[in-house]
Amino acid sequence: MAGIYAPTQIWYSSPIMATTEPANNLPLADVFRATNELVAAGLIADWALGGALAAIYYVEPFATYDADIFFIPKDQGLTAGIPEIYAYLQKAGWHAEHEHLVIRGFPVQFLAAAGLTDEAVREAEHFDFEGMPAKVFRAEYIIAIAASVGRTKDKARIEQLLSQADFDKSYLADLLQRYKLALPT
Amino acid sequence: MKPEMRQKLAREPFAEKVRKVAQLVRLAKTFPRSSRQPGNGTARGRNVMLETGRF
Repeated sequence: MAGIYAPTQIWYSSPIMATTEPANNLPLADVFRATNELVAAGLIADWALGGALAAIYYVEPFATYDADIFFIPKDQGLTAGIPEIYAYLQKAGWHAEHEHLVIRGFPVQFLAAAGLTDEAVREAEHFDFEGMPAKVFRAEYIIAIAASVGRTKDKARIEQLLSQADFDKSYLADLLQRYKLALPT
Repeated sequence: MKPEMRQKLAREPFAEKVRKVAQLVRLAKTFPRSSRQPGNGTARGRNVMLETGRF
């Protein structure tokens, strides 16, 4: 199975890791550490993991190629402080690649929360990942957000969460009603 | 995969699931799915190819 362990420039390579020895994990703890630092530096007010990795917190694992970090901006201006976030993380060794910031070959998207996602950050569940404090969207919010986006993959995500995740049905119903959303039929 | 097995995987600790995601991505990158032509390999696809002369 040499192919699997072949050195590669993506995902497993890192400046602090020999390229012939692939990492066997995603650098999520590094992502959470850096995002906590953004809070400490006063660049963001709060944050939580959203997107596919948040869904994986509740359902069976599946392949996903990036992490979505939703944050509540400190800067209420048009840019939501994103240039400052980029500058801070680039100083810390991350690099920008299209809409992502990349750490150890792993793309991370920082998204300013608003409306439903803002509430999702504020109500997010606290957890500990490899000793790093983190927050993840509640399953009810992941379902509601997927219902609001409505792509094919979002419908699949809803189905997966409804069948595998533990969630509060009345909480979800309230959320869907308040944001005028409906689950796909 | 059986629903019970999928449920069991869903109940694993997040850190373990993240390790599995990394493995899945590694496999997906090592063995990419062959690119699909529209309808390729299906009766309809073959008909389209015959009709359009594109093979």
